Amino acid sequence: MVDTLKILLDVNGFGRITFDQQLQVIEASLAVQKLLSQTIENTPTVAVTDIFPELIGVENQLLQIVAKQIPYYRLNLLNRTDENGQTRYLNLTILACSEEERAIIVIEDATAKAMDLQRTNQQRYDTFLYRSSLEHRRNQVGRAILGKSKAIQHIVDTIQQLGHVPTAKVLLTGETGTGKNLTARMIHESAMTYDAPFIEINCAAFPEQLLEAELFGHEKGAFTGAISTKPGLLEKADGGTLFLDEIGELPPSTQAKLLSTIESKTFRRLGSTTSYKVNVRIIAATNRDLTVEISKNRFREDLYYRLNVVSLHLPPLRELGEDIIMIAQQLVKTLNLQFKKSVKGFSSAARQALLSHHWPGNARELGNCIERAMIFIKNDVIDLPDLVIMSPVEPATSTDPRHWAVPDTGLDLDQVARSLILSALQQANNNKSKAAQLLGLTRHTLRYRMEKYDLN
Amino acid sequence: MGIQKRKICMLGTFGVGKTSLVERFVNNRFSEKYLTTVGLTVSQKMMPPVQQEPNGIPIQHMFLIWDIAAIEKFDSMVSNYFRGASGALAVVDLTRPETADELATILDRFFAVCPEAVVVYIANKVDLISDPSKINSRFDQLSVNAASELIVTSAKTGAQVEDAFYLLSQQIETP
Repeated sequence: MVDTLKILLDVNGFGRITFDQQLQVIEASLAVQKLLSQTIENTPTVAVTDIFPELIGVENQLLQIVAKQIPYYRLNLLNRTDENGQTRYLNLTILACSEEERAIIVIEDATAKAMDLQRTNQQRYDTFLYRSSLEHRRNQVGRAILGKSKAIQHIVDTIQQLGHVPTAKVLLTGETGTGKNLTARMIHESAMTYDAPFIEINCAAFPEQLLEAELFGHEKGAFTGAISTKPGLLEKADGGTLFLDEIGELPPSTQAKLLSTIESKTFRRLGSTTSYKVNVRIIAATNRDLTVEISKNRFREDLYYRLNVVSLHLPPLRELGEDIIMIAQQLVKTLNLQFKKSVKGFSSAARQALLSHHWPGNARELGNCIERAMIFIKNDVIDLPDLVIMSPVEPATSTDPRHWAVPDTGLDLDQVARSLILSALQQANNNKSKAAQLLGLTRHTLRYRMEKYDLN
Repeated sequence: MGIQKRKICMLGTFGVGKTSLVERFVNNRFSEKYLTTVGLTVSQKMMPPVQQEPNGIPIQHMFLIWDIAAIEKFDSMVSNYFRGASGALAVVDLTRPETADELATILDRFFAVCPEAVVVYIANKVDLISDPSKINSRFDQLSVNAASELIVTSAKTGAQVEDAFYLLSQQIETP
């Protein structure tokens, strides 16, 4: 039986070493020398742990195999590098054998299998590590900010340039919903290491004293309610980015303190006499015209110039032309996954409506509009009636020539009328009198049109 | 003075720098190229003598350092890799906080096989961190039940690499 096993192993190119209860080598086949690139003497002076240091620590298991108490022990993919630097991978199986007080080590060459595994793992891990790298994050800027228009390309280019200057202060301007927060994050991501903090605060969201405490922190007892010492957001942002959203709302006293911090790179917590050093990139954003605020003495000119080292204006959605469709398509793609739907895109009438609308709420409004459509849609293409555009209608004096203009491809007036009636009803919480008022119709005319468009 | 052979396992998820730490410690080399480890490689290194107590007999360890490939599937083979280990260096990557969570799973398996083993925790790649004084709080939890503080190393510069192995040698002999 043992001889049969030996023959089987030898003819299949496996190496074999027989050893005894002293863990000494009794016999090693010729294949072992080839697999290990070393000569093994068939004398009981060599221990198997000398040949395989991998077996140190498991001597008890080996003795149990010799004593036939456990059937086998296995180790896969041991590395062996020869004098020429060639690595061979070996699988070891230590088996009980029929001879008394003997066991056998079977050595299998697994180099080909190991190389395949190495290639696969290398690709997977390289991809993963690249994705988490700064270089990759810089490249992501172009993917996170959608659009091919010149205005969007300018933004992407500026962010990528700012990625190489992690200290420059940036002032982001633009209407609400134009992506100031996303842009600030992208500037941060493309410039900072993974562990650098990104701390944001909406300056309009806090009353004056609370805002100061949030920004600069406070000592215990600094004011009523300050029951413990609390570090401020400036400290938390140390080594990273502090994003001050709606900077135009910053109260004058806080403006002065912020200016001092920017100039000296130090600050004091409320109620403290100790100055703390801070190294932080400041990105500020506003939807106000700060030059107007300066002229009305509501914003400090010196702070404006300190913040406005690099300014980046984010254009409103209505100026982005076909980019609107690209953004809307991306929203559909994302919401398809979220709502488990398979909406393909927009009808040409819906596309025209998206392109014609004024979008005063910009990307936020577009997002809501598409999400509403995706919730209720039953078909696989979003059509005009599916789009309920909620933003207030621009006054007739609007100077935007596209507003209410008929698109080149024409439109379905009934569809537009139906959509407007739906929108009015929604705004009026289904109160027909109010909806009629919104549309400049009598209640009777509205009811007639609702019947006509099957809206009852 | 007796020489004792001790099996030491390098533990940690892929890409944390296990192989680089061994390479730095054993051969004093570092390569920027990342090459995933397949299977296991055992390296040997004679450690400086350690003395268990004043006037006690010094002991010298021959470390057999098992550099094991990142383990995704825990099976009997992995138990065999761990079996017989006296200690381990548990490695996380300072640039990837999630490696702390992955290490916790690996350590659970390791301690199931080697409950008596001593573990020293290493936070590697400090050379890539902008402010080494601020280490992500996810790493703080690691060494709560450990024999030592988290040791911050760099296989690239060699910072604290020898210290970590030497500390493990000392801890193994501490009753």
